[in-house]
Amino acid sequence: MASETLEDQLIERKEGGMQRADDTLSRAKDGDQTAFADLVREHQAMVFSIAHYFSRDRATSEDLAQEVFIHLYQNLAAIESPAHLKFWLRRVTGHRCIDHARKHKVKTVSVEDAPEPVATTDFRDSLMTEALRRIVATLPEKPRLVVTLRYQEDLDPTEIAKLLDMPLNTVKSHLRRSLAILREKVTRSMGEIKV
Amino acid sequence: MNRFDEELKLALRREEPSPDFTDRVMARVAELQKREKPREKTGWLRRLAEFFQPAQMKWATAGAMAVLLVIAGFGVHHRRESERKRLAEIAEGERAKEQVMLAMRIASAKLNAAQKKVREIAVHEDRGSKIEDRR
Repeated sequence: MASETLEDQLIERKEGGMQRADDTLSRAKDGDQTAFADLVREHQAMVFSIAHYFSRDRATSEDLAQEVFIHLYQNLAAIESPAHLKFWLRRVTGHRCIDHARKHKVKTVSVEDAPEPVATTDFRDSLMTEALRRIVATLPEKPRLVVTLRYQEDLDPTEIAKLLDMPLNTVKSHLRRSLAILREKVTRSMGEIKV
Repeated sequence: MNRFDEELKLALRREEPSPDFTDRVMARVAELQKREKPREKTGWLRRLAEFFQPAQMKWATAGAMAVLLVIAGFGVHHRRESERKRLAEIAEGERAKEQVMLAMRIASAKLNAAQKKVREIAVHEDRGSKIEDRR
């Protein structure tokens, strides 16, 4: 009984949250600047992080994220729902990242050439995180974006394929190959840690 | 999900941008709006152009044609009316002229008759005095 009540409360809270998100979106669409600022605050971490794990440069990522939100402001009328907004933001951020990398010819170091971090037991966890981020950043553009969307946004391959207009098998293959490379690279650099 | 996946999730967890990120986005939005306002001012040009788009154009053309027809009708009517007035004035003048001529002809005839009478009287008197002289 108690668990049912808790479940009901959770459902109510979730529905309340969705209602609020709907309201914020409609107010922003009606030209309410405060509501638009709320939308930015709600999604800025998602947009910024996709750009950040893609470019590995904070300033570039913030510029890219700003561009995405300005583009959103100009296209608010086309956004149908909070879920569509999330999909739209991820999609536009992904495409912007790839465009930016192509325009600025960001050098993607081959995985074999990437510097290997040296591990010490004390800093193992933080080094592991840093090493993974650094190796992800060396992946080619599309696999890098696929890995970011898979692990940052917790999207499954079908969702990623839809988001990036990519065949499902390509997404799966990018993931498989990228994970193999990451595993090998991290294992090599942090040999004693079981990964 | 294995440990490696967990490690990757942890490494690629979401991070917040700078604390002033939202403010900077909103400042750019405000800038964008400022730039868009002058465009709104010239919106009347756009509305005018839209007015002449096919659907509205039909009504505008019909209206313009109606106005032109009314103006043309009024013009024709005005022209006919002034022509009629001018002809009426000419006819009036002609009639007056005829009357003057008639009056003059009458006066002249009367003068001629009077003159004839005066002459006859003069001849008659002249003959009478000659007969008196002969006697």
